[in-house]
Amino acid sequence: MKKNLRILLLVGLIVAFVTGLTYFDSFMYHDPVIKVQQVKQLDKSTSTDEYKNTDTQITQRVIGRFLNTKDKGKTVSFKNTYYQSQLTDTKYTVGQQVILTKSGHAYTPKNVKRDTTLVFTIGLVVFLMYCMKFDRRKLFISILLNVIIFYGFLNIIIKTHNSVLLPLTVITALLISAVALLVILGPTYQALMAYSSTVIATTVALGLSVFVLSMSGYGGVHVELNDFELQPYKGVFFAQVIFSVLGVILDETMDISSSLIEMKKELADVEEATLFKSGINIGRELIGPLINILLFIVIAENLNIVLLYLSNGNSIGYTVEMTLSLGLTQLLISAIGIILTVPVTSFIASKVITKRVK
Amino acid sequence: MLYLFLTFVVLLLMVTGTRGFTLLFGLGINIFSIIALLILIADGFNALITTCIISVVILVVAIYMNVDNPNTASTAFKTSLLIMVVILLITIPLEYWASAQGMAAENQDELEGFSLAAGISYPKLAISIIVINSLGVISETSVAITSGLNEIVDNKPTMTPSEIFDDGFSVGNKILNTQTNTLLFNFFASTFPLFFVIHSLGYKFTEVLNDKLVVAEILTTLICTIGVILTVPITSYLVYQKANKKIKKQTSE
Repeated sequence: MKKNLRILLLVGLIVAFVTGLTYFDSFMYHDPVIKVQQVKQLDKSTSTDEYKNTDTQITQRVIGRFLNTKDKGKTVSFKNTYYQSQLTDTKYTVGQQVILTKSGHAYTPKNVKRDTTLVFTIGLVVFLMYCMKFDRRKLFISILLNVIIFYGFLNIIIKTHNSVLLPLTVITALLISAVALLVILGPTYQALMAYSSTVIATTVALGLSVFVLSMSGYGGVHVELNDFELQPYKGVFFAQVIFSVLGVILDETMDISSSLIEMKKELADVEEATLFKSGINIGRELIGPLINILLFIVIAENLNIVLLYLSNGNSIGYTVEMTLSLGLTQLLISAIGIILTVPVTSFIASKVITKRVK
Repeated sequence: MLYLFLTFVVLLLMVTGTRGFTLLFGLGINIFSIIALLILIADGFNALITTCIISVVILVVAIYMNVDNPNTASTAFKTSLLIMVVILLITIPLEYWASAQGMAAENQDELEGFSLAAGISYPKLAISIIVINSLGVISETSVAITSGLNEIVDNKPTMTPSEIFDDGFSVGNKILNTQTNTLLFNFFASTFPLFFVIHSLGYKFTEVLNDKLVVAEILTTLICTIGVILTVPITSYLVYQKANKKIKKQTSE
């Protein structure tokens, strides 16, 4: 217990130290950084737009002290105008650190300095992991490896201007799922089983969806409306499906196969058909919650733009079509993958387990 | 999209049989609740309060409709509610601190032609986004850990509290691993277009680190992970409490 407490204290101190470091790291910034000392409200006007939305526009004078550059210690002031709703603009408050840009002799605010919050939250996650008896090492290794792979993926798509996006996504997906499985299950035949089920289910789901979608000529699916309207539209669309469904399918296939292995260990003479049937029964329970996970992620991701559409006098139908239909189509493809994983895993697992586990 | 939906329904009914209808019904209620949420917030209701109320509805549907064992369902529901409160308590100060709400320069094309004075509080909406994002993960995690633990406790009713916690962590370990994967891969899915755009805008490393959209995405993923981590001790505690009550009842009889 004492040893645990000491480790915990050490981790806490490291987290606090690193967070503190980012609070004072403005010397590493090329752009001037200030700390806001005083904020005065200069002007306030309430307006109603053509859609009867009432919003208040506020102009504030922000006075701050430079934390870096050769003006360090001097004070500076600038005007900032924002709407109370703060969709794209920001209200500055005392104590905040703000990055500025110099245009001519005047300074204008560029961005809030957010790295301290970011590092603090990462630290909080690490600290909580150390508070509890989790097997942290495996988890950290798998996250680290996957982030490195993702970083490599990003670099290559940027260098090739997205031209090899889809094949590269497939390779990346194969790599990150292999890493995840190897770290969680180790180099066992169960990992191989789960891996092949994941690959087969995802491939079949994608193939089937491409077939069905092209049958209707992608009717009602605005692939061009993806985030930032990034090209190639279909490539981005399917790459996002692959990444988002992968974690869920891995989860599902591991659940089913490990339950079936347990079953075989307890009932040595269980038949292949019975195993297959139990696999389907176990999988049935998993489908609903897993689709839910992706549903809420899709909705949450688009919430800002959905409300922008709605508040601009668009009907709910048009809003959903323009903002959510793409995400919901991706969700449907993912859902098909989630469903197909159940029979695929049950089939592979029942075959392999009857042969391997004695 | 209609054909795709039909394919989904046919496959669902083929694999799950009659249970598929319950699943579809649950999904329908969830989508209906979400649309109600959107309309209410757009009409000017407080985004946070609306989100909390709708989230409770969604959790009831997600847990009670998917779990047959009432014992497991009630513990999982209690856990999810507690986690939701914790997530709110963590998110509110963090979002205030980071001011990572709304949209940014990268969204310029999407924003063209819109009135930006929408009257909706986007800082509050940023908190709602994280809460909604976590709903599916939290309900799944709490159900998985509760049912795993209940099974162990039912088979061995004489467990001590520290044994229950140990088992909670061994069940939780695997779930934490898989849920982190789900969250991480979804982070990959939603951010690779963002990173591509950021690169084409020529951002420096420090600019990426402070970028509103990047920080918002990372915060969402991290806070959901915190929710998953905290599910384990909270579930273990609730299961332990229930087992304790049972033992007390038996000894007094």
